[in-house]
Amino acid sequence: MIRYLAEGVKHAFGLHRPGRILPVLPDDILLASYPQSECTSLQFLLANLFHPDREVNFDNLRHVVLDPDVSTKRDFDRSPRPRIMNTRSGFDARYRRVIYLVRDPRDVAQSRYETLRKLRKIDDQLSIADFIDRFLAGKDVQERSSQDDSGSWGENVGSWMAVRSSHPGFLWLRYEDLVADAERELKRVADFLGLPTDPKKISQAIERSSLVPLVNERNELPEAQVASIEEAWGDIMACLGYKLTTRDPGDALKSSLIALLMSDGRAARPVPGNGNRP
Amino acid sequence: MIKRLVNATKRALGKSNPGRYFQVFDDDTFIVSFPKSGNTWTRFLIAHLIHPEETPNFGNIDRLVPESEGLTTNQLAALPRPRVMKSHQYFDARYRKVIYIVRDPRDVVVSQFHFFRKRRRIDDNYPLEKFVRSFVAGETCDYSSWGGNVASWLVTRQNSKDFLLLRYEDMLASTEVELNRVASFLGIGVTPEIVAQAVERSSADQMRKLEGGSSTALVTKNSRQDIPFVRSANIGGWKKTLPEAAVAELEDAWGDLMVYLGYELQHPEKRAAVDFRFTERN
Repeated sequence: MIRYLAEGVKHAFGLHRPGRILPVLPDDILLASYPQSECTSLQFLLANLFHPDREVNFDNLRHVVLDPDVSTKRDFDRSPRPRIMNTRSGFDARYRRVIYLVRDPRDVAQSRYETLRKLRKIDDQLSIADFIDRFLAGKDVQERSSQDDSGSWGENVGSWMAVRSSHPGFLWLRYEDLVADAERELKRVADFLGLPTDPKKISQAIERSSLVPLVNERNELPEAQVASIEEAWGDIMACLGYKLTTRDPGDALKSSLIALLMSDGRAARPVPGNGNRP
Repeated sequence: MIKRLVNATKRALGKSNPGRYFQVFDDDTFIVSFPKSGNTWTRFLIAHLIHPEETPNFGNIDRLVPESEGLTTNQLAALPRPRVMKSHQYFDARYRKVIYIVRDPRDVVVSQFHFFRKRRRIDDNYPLEKFVRSFVAGETCDYSSWGGNVASWLVTRQNSKDFLLLRYEDMLASTEVELNRVASFLGIGVTPEIVAQAVERSSADQMRKLEGGSSTALVTKNSRQDIPFVRSANIGGWKKTLPEAAVAELEDAWGDLMVYLGYELQHPEKRAAVDFRFTERN
């Protein structure tokens, strides 16, 4: 009962976390990504791009880039427009402007395995093979909250891809490209958002975001696990321009619904990561 | 301020409607579809299978196979588990077990047009062409567009053993066969008699009679009584009603997906190479 009342008071004063019932505004910008895709780097870059006069650090980042599951309703009400939001959820039809940060699932898997072990969310004895089975099923943490709607990597990426891949209000960003050439990628983001693309401003945003260095840490996954990942999501990976090492990409794309939707059946549409660049 | 306090209190006491944001359990099964794709009919059919002791009608269907978003937090929590619920949501990773019903979008749009007239959301003079345009843009409801809703589920789940795709057209043509598939998917043992009875008692004629006898269900309440909820329940009715340009607009938006699902196009020449079908997978 006390808990109920406390919740009620929080709601009345706007201190609750609005989660999915947050009313979305037409100019909201959503940064979507799967966990362990280094989204914090992109959050810093965007925060610095939008607020060149403000010092963005780990303490105030969550007031600048809002998370419906973490920030309070009051944060949302006080945020300048357009609001920048961050999500781990799969496809959400309410947002008109979406930037999806995608990272190679083989790196995501490895990084998630290490992070979850460090956080003691998974048993230290859990082998990488057993972990990958769970990862593929979207159940890497045994007791995920019933509100966790991030799904598996393939579900998360695939759900956005299926609906928005050719939508003008949608931008793919590969983490690997961000590491390779942050200036070029941030310029694409600025173009997409209709912000000034002055090279000085872009370099300044990158410099100020240096507290999260852009590096792609890679550890080799055992070949069998790479094969399982490519077996499950080979078509999505190939559409995103990730090189498959255990199977033929043509084979992965054959009879693939996602490839069909991405290509639109008539003329091949350029895939993100190679032809999509200005 | 008063309104905010009332809302806050309602929420605190579990008397508000959580919408998409409600607690999902791993053993829930969802009957999902874009609106106007035969979801209510399927709910009636499945209600016969899971509650053979009761005869579903428009008065009790919201209790037998409830609409997840029509209930308050408390009502949802009080449902016996495992729950079988109706939903129109596009992909939601929390739904583990899903029966997805798909219907030819050319029939769906006509059906939704009449449904919106029934609910007084558009008046009788509203042009069908204009409606088709917003339908394609996904602006007629909160569940994404037809193509968005269908593709979001197929891309993510079509290979899962916890996903069953039903085509409304197959259900009409061979209801018993499809209902047997549903029963085995749900792990319910059924006799041919139960299936036959479910089919008979859920026929369009029977459903129309049931609708006439009651208007308390969420799907029909507060709407115009001169337009029926259970309409023609037919296949290809669009050929008589939809203007040529509207058909082209729908096929232009979702032709590939339609071919993939086995729906024959009016303008197949526009599609270069969709050489595989969902139906060939089974």
